[in-house]
Amino acid sequence: MPHKLIGRTSVRDNIKLSEDPSYPIFKELYEKQKKAVWFPEELNIQQDALDYHTLSEDEKDLFDTAVGYFCSSELLVQNVLVNSFFPLLTDPHAKMSFSTQLFMENIHSDFFEIVLQSFGMDREKMYDVAFDDPILRKKQSLIVDEIDKISYGRIDPNSLEGQKQILRAILLNNIILEGIFFYSSFAHFFALKDMAKMKNVVSGVELVLIDESLHLQNGIEAILIMLDENPEIVEDQEYVQEIRDVILEGTALEIEYVKHKFGDRTILGISYGELERYLKYITDRRLQELGFEQEFHINENPLRFLQKEDVKKLINFFEVSSTEYTNY
Amino acid sequence: MKRTVIKRDGTEEPFRTQQIINAIFEIIQGLEVEDDYELVFLIMKELDLKVPERVTTEELDRLVLKAIEQLIPKHPVYDTLATRQLLKLINKGIDRRLDDFHDFLEQAFEQELLDERLKEFDLDLLAESLNFERDGLLGYFGLTTLNDRYLMKNRDQQVIEKPQWFFMRVAMGIGNSNEEIVKIYNKLSKLEYLHSTPTLFNSGTVTSQYSSCYVSVVDDSLDSIMDKARETAFLAKYAGGVGTDVTRIRATGSNIESLNAPSSGAIPFIKIFDTLVNSIQQGGRRRSSQVISMQPWHLDIDGFMDLRETTGNAYFRTPSLNTKLWMPDEMMRRIKEGEPIYLFDPGVCGELVDAIGDDFRKKYEKRIEQAEAGELEQFKKLDSQNFFKKYLFKLAKTGHPWLIFKDEHNRHNPCPEYSVINSSNLCTEISIPNRPDSTAVCTLASVNLSKHVNEAQDDIDWDKLEDTLEVMVRGLDNILDKNFYPSEAARRNTMDLRPLGIGMMGFAEALIDLDIAYDSEEAVILARKLGSFMREVAYRTSQELAEERGAFKHYQEMEEQGNPYDYEPRRNAVLLAIAPTASISIITGTTSSIDSYFSNLYSRDTLSGKHIVINRQLIEDLEEQGQWSDEMADTIKANNGSVQHIDELDGIIDKQLYKTAYEIHPKRQVDIAAAFQESIDQAVSKSLYIDEQLRDNMEEIYLYAWEKKLKSTYYCFIDKVVKGEKYTEKVNKRGSRKGFGASGSSADNGTPKKTDPVEEDKAELEAKAREKFGDEAVDQALEADANSCPTDPMLRRICPACE
Ligand SMILES: [Fe+2]
Ligand SMILES: [Fe+2]
Repeated sequence: MPHKLIGRTSVRDNIKLSEDPSYPIFKELYEKQKKAVWFPEELNIQQDALDYHTLSEDEKDLFDTAVGYFCSSELLVQNVLVNSFFPLLTDPHAKMSFSTQLFMENIHSDFFEIVLQSFGMDREKMYDVAFDDPILRKKQSLIVDEIDKISYGRIDPNSLEGQKQILRAILLNNIILEGIFFYSSFAHFFALKDMAKMKNVVSGVELVLIDESLHLQNGIEAILIMLDENPEIVEDQEYVQEIRDVILEGTALEIEYVKHKFGDRTILGISYGELERYLKYITDRRLQELGFEQEFHINENPLRFLQKEDVKKLINFFEVSSTEYTNY
Repeated sequence: MKRTVIKRDGTEEPFRTQQIINAIFEIIQGLEVEDDYELVFLIMKELDLKVPERVTTEELDRLVLKAIEQLIPKHPVYDTLATRQLLKLINKGIDRRLDDFHDFLEQAFEQELLDERLKEFDLDLLAESLNFERDGLLGYFGLTTLNDRYLMKNRDQQVIEKPQWFFMRVAMGIGNSNEEIVKIYNKLSKLEYLHSTPTLFNSGTVTSQYSSCYVSVVDDSLDSIMDKARETAFLAKYAGGVGTDVTRIRATGSNIESLNAPSSGAIPFIKIFDTLVNSIQQGGRRRSSQVISMQPWHLDIDGFMDLRETTGNAYFRTPSLNTKLWMPDEMMRRIKEGEPIYLFDPGVCGELVDAIGDDFRKKYEKRIEQAEAGELEQFKKLDSQNFFKKYLFKLAKTGHPWLIFKDEHNRHNPCPEYSVINSSNLCTEISIPNRPDSTAVCTLASVNLSKHVNEAQDDIDWDKLEDTLEVMVRGLDNILDKNFYPSEAARRNTMDLRPLGIGMMGFAEALIDLDIAYDSEEAVILARKLGSFMREVAYRTSQELAEERGAFKHYQEMEEQGNPYDYEPRRNAVLLAIAPTASISIITGTTSSIDSYFSNLYSRDTLSGKHIVINRQLIEDLEEQGQWSDEMADTIKANNGSVQHIDELDGIIDKQLYKTAYEIHPKRQVDIAAAFQESIDQAVSKSLYIDEQLRDNMEEIYLYAWEKKLKSTYYCFIDKVVKGEKYTEKVNKRGSRKGFGASGSSADNGTPKKTDPVEEDKAELEAKAREKFGDEAVDQALEADANSCPTDPMLRRICPACE
């Protein structure tokens, strides 16, 4: 059987790095992630304490929910990685790349935990929000229920069916959860900073965004490689349609969520209408990245303030924590 | 969607597009624009997504502002419009509470916000001198910053100061006569120069603390440490940044005679300052801040360099402090020549602290001999080049400590008899003799060079520059006597030396006006000429002031003691200091200090949020060449704000003019700073911008800075390598791989469909609208009159009343 990225492995296997890696992209992504490593202590989160108490009720709710959502989701990403497909990675560089992602999720958990503590937020409530809020729960369930099906050795990774299920797991985790759901919440944070609020926390979120965009790339690469190695997968039209549908289902759930949050008002100068369009824009990007046709044909990000994340940054050091220094 | 506007009095009315359109036309008035309908259309399109079902009038005003703001990167005209809209909101808010300037003063006096003494001026005359047209000189980022933090608020935290009233209030706190106030007001309101932030905050107010910087010295005693902790607390409270030298504190393991026990060294004491500074918020307007300096021969230097590390024992980390090395020449020489350096305990080798130049070298060598002979209990010998490498790695990693050159500072000390210069301030531009009992204070202002280019744009307007500098010297000297000094040591230093700090901003902007590339020998020559001109005018004015008001006290004392200094009597011991001007260059909308443009398109993080900054000069240039378009804007964005690699601009604009910070070799950046430093009597604070590729050359770059006789360097910016996924711009991660596209039906055919409604005719548009909004909305739109126009841009295009 030809070597594939995903397959049955034993602890004896794959313990040699090669100078000429089978998947050079994962070596590259490992290097990129390594350079991106940061620590929550670099940010002066305490500085935002005064700000936190001046947030309006809506703003606070938005901020709290986003923090709570990330608190548990960061750990969820770890679970999914470890319980579903990490043991099935056959390539040592891919393992290094995905385990660096795992490490980065630790940093994120640590970061959001510090945020939670710094502002005296209700720990129980925060960690439970993703499953207590009825709409957030739908989002989490989409991921969790599917992954449960394939965890604990319930599938044969060497079969085509197994490969398909693993692909779906990676998609749910790295594309839908990290690439759509997370991106939705990022926008809420950046809107805060745009209104000059919670600047140091959001500086941390900027770093999380850099990391997550690398995780997204991990996922895209793994999926594209799997499709390459298993040309039968795309021949299964029904399966391809299902994959597209599940991405769109994720988007629909996220849209439902922002509708429920923003409803008929604007918070931080952004409205439901803009966020809906933004999510459709992000989804179109994700679809295209995997080779699908766009669904919504939105080619411009309606949240124009996010351009500020795309250009070089200059920081007034005495005023805001910097995210421009490198540890490497 | 039917939308409702909730008015201030609580009544509700339907949302009327036409009203908003009219309001936008109102702010466009008087602007030269090609197609004002197009502008309004674009703004309305942005706004439409923003307006929720129910919206208050206030929120609606803000959303209009947000909508315009979003378009700023497209063209500078949106910057002007956003400024006008914001100004309108500010004025509207104030007009509801106050009738005019007199009314403002009255309320401010009543609430004890302003100094009573301002009443003595001719308020009618001053009111008549106000010129509201000058509001138009402010840009959006500048006005936002003013509005957020600088304009005075009443006791209910409502803004009560219009921008022109603000400039006048600041002038009133500085000028000694009506005439002088008007003169200062004119200069400030035309943005020809600005005072530093604390002066803008506090001038004329009951908190008359005008100074930016304090530099204190800690002695090697518990008394002194606690004394300085107390002083720091009060200095920080009143908005100044504090620099503190701790070289004198004995090292770890040094014997404390009174206890006959070993000391725990300097680091735990530095931690006190960290805690202190962190606990004092400067009225929420600016974080209180402190920089701690240490000479690198101190035995605790390793721990000192780790203070800003983020991992390790929290007791030895100071996240709220800045740090810097106060570096003697002899150690730089050893680094350069590869000779070892030695670390000593100041508790034993105290003579090294004050010694400078050759004197330091001799004393240092003597201690080395003793060390090698085994006569010193505590010392360390290090490979100097390893030390320097390690230091520069820390600098790149943590941004600290900065590198400041002790001997170059002291070589130019005009008052060596008063004291040596013990380190510099937070922003590294101050160079004033100070002692444990005399804390240096500096009050700063910076000339905006971009407003001093002649009309033909072929030279500096030297006469105007001279005039501005004279006003600045006199104004700053006035301030010294009106200033509130938070400590006696600070008052003493000012009264003895009367130091001023005149600096510059807008140097890079002026260069482009003059068609001089920042990265050129010509720029270095102009820098040298400007520095020497500033010195000449400032010194002459100060000498004139000495005749009117007397020379500074220490000068007189030396004369009385029969040991006079060998220079003409002047009012101020030092006068020039080039500060980073981070905030005030934003207010004036120019390039900061003597730095180049950071980039042609970048975002800036401040207390007032995150703002996109575009190089207006480049856009104007491109527009003249017919090259500015949305596509060009995107290309520049995709190039991270650089135009150097955009081939289609070859031969169209002079690309050299628009190099960004990382594209100018750090040595050239040093050359510019060095050219100014030749004449600046205090220091030039120079941040260095180093491209990732030059990271291995840092040793060479910093040695060069020392050899070129810079007194100070400041932040070291290294271009960040890993960036997040671009948010607003697509990046092809898939390459030529087909992915799911290899499948049949839902595959991507490669070219995204274009759905720009502009290209469709009306029938198609109507059909589409019916699909999107349903028949009811479309029929309504088709029959709309001026008051019921739809907001959606698509619907608006089929609405007869909107045509
Ligand atoms: Fe994460
Ligand atoms: Fe992640």
